[in-house]
This record gives sequence, C-alpha cells and structure tokens, in this order.
Amino acid sequence: MPWYLYLALKQLFPTGRKFPFFTAISVLGVALGVALLVISTSVMGGFGYEIRRMIVDTQGEVQVRGEGLIADAAGLQARLATVPGVVATTPFAEGVVGLQYEGKPAYPAMQGIDVNRVGQVVPLERFIRAGRLDDLDDDSIIISSKLALSLGARIGSRVEIYSPLLLEKLKNDEVLLPRELRVVGIFEVGHQQLDSSVVLVTLRSMQELYGLGAAIHGVNVKIAPKLDADVVATRINGALPPAAQARARSWMEANQDFLFILQLEKNMIFFLLTFIIIVSAFSVTSSLLISVVRKTREIGLLGALGARPVQVAACFCFQGLLIGAVGTLAGLGLGLGTLHFRNELVAGFTRLTASEEVLVRFYQFSQLPAHTAPGDVGLIVACSVVISTLAGLLPAWRAARLKPVEALRNE
Amino acid sequence: MNEAILTARGVRKTFMSGDRRLEVLAGVDLDVAAGESVSIRGESGSGKSTLLQLLAGLDAPDAGTLAWAGESDTGTARRGRFLGIVFQSFYLIPELNARENVLMARRILGPIDAAARKRADDLLAKVGLAERAKHLSSQLSGGERQRVAVARALMNSPRLILADEPTGNLDERTGDAVIELLLGLCAETQTALVLVTHNAAHAQKTHRQLVLRSGILVHG
Repeated sequence: MPWYLYLALKQLFPTGRKFPFFTAISVLGVALGVALLVISTSVMGGFGYEIRRMIVDTQGEVQVRGEGLIADAAGLQARLATVPGVVATTPFAEGVVGLQYEGKPAYPAMQGIDVNRVGQVVPLERFIRAGRLDDLDDDSIIISSKLALSLGARIGSRVEIYSPLLLEKLKNDEVLLPRELRVVGIFEVGHQQLDSSVVLVTLRSMQELYGLGAAIHGVNVKIAPKLDADVVATRINGALPPAAQARARSWMEANQDFLFILQLEKNMIFFLLTFIIIVSAFSVTSSLLISVVRKTREIGLLGALGARPVQVAACFCFQGLLIGAVGTLAGLGLGLGTLHFRNELVAGFTRLTASEEVLVRFYQFSQLPAHTAPGDVGLIVACSVVISTLAGLLPAWRAARLKPVEALRNE
Repeated sequence: MNEAILTARGVRKTFMSGDRRLEVLAGVDLDVAAGESVSIRGESGSGKSTLLQLLAGLDAPDAGTLAWAGESDTGTARRGRFLGIVFQSFYLIPELNARENVLMARRILGPIDAAARKRADDLLAKVGLAERAKHLSSQLSGGERQRVAVARALMNSPRLILADEPTGNLDERTGDAVIELLLGLCAETQTALVLVTHNAAHAQKTHRQLVLRSGILVHG
C-alpha cells in the first residue's frame, strides 16, 4: 500500500485508539445525509409507484379515445385485437351525472363498463370492498367508498340518477323522471378523487342515460407483459385508419403532467437533501483543514523524508474519500434498515400521537409505501462519494503547498 | 582520503527582516568525508539550522553550490535515500507506534518487505527500544522518542546524517546517551554525520569541530 494511503488510514483510525472521534463524527454526518436521501427518495418513489400502479389498474396501459363518439365499438375492438402486443380490450363510456340518495345530492363521474370484459383489462374486482362486481346489471350501480360514506348509502340502497339527457327532456316539457339504481357494490382504489367522485354502471346503462345508442367514448387496452406502453400506443395509431377519428395514448402520455409533477417533486427533494451531504462535507473540510494546521510539522517531516507534495495531497484527499465511502455505506445501511422497519416506525409514531386515522384518511395509506430504485441509490452513492472527496481537496491543496523548511520552522 | 559525501562551496543565504537585509550565511565552505563526523556550533540565531536545511536540500541557497557524493542533485527523490535527518523536536507521527515511525522512512521510498521490517526491528534493538516497538510516541519519554528518530534516520542506510540540535529537548544525561548512540551507530555504519549543537562536550566527540561565526564556518 502506498505510504500516503497507509498514513491516511492511520490518521483516520489511529493505532491503539478504540474510538476515533473525528472519524466517527465525520462519517456520521455523511451517513445521516445519505440515509435521509435514501429514505426520502424511496418513500417518494413508493408514492409515485403506487400512483402509477393505480392509474394502470384503473385505466389500462393504453387508452383509445375518439375525437367524439365512436359509433363502431365492435369494429374498433376487432381492429385493436390485430395489433401486436394487444392482449385484451374493454369499451367504456363516461360522463358526469347527478346522483341523489335520501335528499343528499352528489355529482360524480359515471363510468359505463362492459362487465364481461373489464376484468381482462383492469383488476376492478380487487378494489371492491363490499358487494360483487358480478352483481352489476342494468338496474344497479357500484359507488366509490367515500361517496357512499358521505351519502350514507349501503349495499341495497336505491339511488336516483339524473343525466343531462333528462334535462334535454325537460326543455321539451317532458316529465323529468330520474333513473333509480340499486347499490350492489362499493369500491375503493386508494385515491382521494376516485374514491369520492366515481360511480360504475354497465355500458348499456351509461349509453341509455346519455342517449349514446351503441356508441362509446373509448376503449381501454391491456398490453403484453414487459412491453412499452408508448410503443404499443404508436402501433395502434399506425393501425387505426384516419376515418376512425380515434387516437391511442399510453398511460404515461395521458398523465404526463401529473407524472412530471411527481418527478419534479422527487427531484426537488433530492436536490434539497443533497445539501445535507454538502453541509457534512464542509464539516469534513473544516476538520481536515484543522488537521493540516495541527500536523504542519509532520507534513514538513514527510517532505524531509522524501515525500512529494502530490503524495502529501493524496494523503488528505484519500481521507475525504474514505470518510465519504464509509459514511455512504453506513448511510445506505441506516436508510435501508429504516425503510425495512418503516411501517413499525410509522405505527409507533401514530400511536404516540393518536393520528393513525388521520394518516389513513388524508394519505390513503395505512402503510407507508416505499420503492427504492437502483438508479436513485447509484446517484446518491456517486454524489456522496464525489462531494466527500471534493471536501478533502482544499485541505490537500493546502498541505501540498507547505514547504518542508517552512513547515518544520512552525514551532 | 575518503570519498567526499558532502561538499558546499560559497553558500550564501539572506533573509529580509522588514526593510533590512540579513545575511545569515556569507559564503560557507564545507567538506565532509564518508564516515566522518563534524560538529557545528554557534550562537543562537547564527544560522546553524538554516545551514543544515540548505545542506539537506530543503531550501535553496541564494548563491553557492552544494553536492552530495559529488552530484549536484539534492532533490526530494534523492534525499530520502541519501540522507537521514534528526531534529531537535523528534517529529514522530503520533498516530504511529515506534516501529511504524521507523518504517515510515522506508515506506515513503516504496513498498516495504520483510527485510525492511527486520531492519526496523534491528535498529530499534540497537537504540535499546526493542521492548517498546509497539508504543505510541505519546507513551515514550523524550529520550526514547529521540532514539526512535535516530533509528528512523538510519532506516534507509543513508550516506549522511544531519542532526539539528538533537539533544536540545533532553536532559544532560539523556542527551549524552543519545549523542553516544548517534556517534556509535554512524561509526559502525561508516555514515557521515553533521551535528549542529550548542553543547561543547558533544561537539568534542566528533572528528572535526567547526563554529559558524559571522556567516562563515571556522575551526572551533
């Protein structure tokens, strides 16, 4: 081992000393910064991952929408089935309706679904909390959990639906009679907006309520595993004739603004928390500078023994690198360990502050999601080690500039 | 006559003290032969340490020439192999034990091997510190620290040892012992020695006694 690496190790972990205080404090600073970065980006990644999963689970990976109504739903689905990568399709129609239960009104978004096909594209069954998806027929409705809670509706309750078509009838002095539907299911996706303002009916009910005839608004598409949704969407657009007046969009494209905000939030957190590492790097710089001043005569001695300035610099630079490397490893361990026990920690904290219910109500999660992306970890490790090594550069430069004769005179 | 190990001709050094030019060395001539010991005495501030630093190649003279074994290369790379230096303040590295401090002189020149380790142990035994090889410098007395510094100076089998008041921080008895040790080891290994000292008795033990007076060396 070159002497400058050997001496750097000895200065960080001196012979005979059980607890190297300076090293421990410096390593702890870097470790805390890295741990915080790993935890924050993983939790942010977890939220993002859950939200992405929820979008795909409720909309499918690709959605084909018409510029207006799609009259030939069967023809469109048949054409989609020929596109490579398309596994299943399910049509939908949608619109806002007025809903009333025991005098309490609401204005949810209504989705008309093909009960026989929807399960092939989105795992709707998984989100049903009460009742059954199979019970949905033209006289029934499935409502979202928070909407049910706010209305006081339960399985078996009968709700009244007012559609824009009824308003049209009213203009013609026709009698305004709402459609009465029986609640056969309550679903919960885990998203505040969807769980408080969406209801599901059969495609036929929706077509009747909106006077669509046999037309639909779009088709949700499931693609083969591991295929890129953007690639399949492009293929579908290539296969659709211009006359179809419909366009396929991947879930990423359809939600690009939302995904951009998610990524921006994550990047901002990364950027802000990187300052913790920078602050700890300044502390490493400060400690190493003090070390250079304290060891001025030793640096002079090394020069007198034949050490070159660049080797003296390497000795101090390596200390920064080593503090960074050990601190980063310790921080990774601390961060991943904390993430492993995150739910126990959150549960303990919410029990202490009696806020468990608030957490579930506002954040939708009783368990804290986390998704640690290898790319994020790689970036954190690289940033931490590079910043810590840079922290050793200034002390190293100062040490290299010391002339042995002046350093030895420093009594 | 023995080979000339150190040759200095007309070495001059001037320092600025405010607006005043202070000529510390005004043309020093010095020849030291292999195995020879030379003492240099002088009043405080006479320029003894400055002369030693110039002889060690740690600083450059304003004028004059210097040669080690006839070669004018007194650079860093050659210094570690050609000469050993003993300072008044020992300058041991506190994070290292006695053995590691001695070995440091060799480490700086390149990787150490079993032979180097054995030499360090032998040298520590010669200076009477075999039992204290694993002690940190903070666990050693002043005399012991200086003996470690002597062993370190001899580690690379140098041709010349420059000792700058090596007994300055030691009591008389310990100082005498260190000088005896230094002279004995230099004689044993035919290493030339330049000893800067205030102590006339120590100076008398060397082959040749010089005094630095008014910036030049004269016989003492």
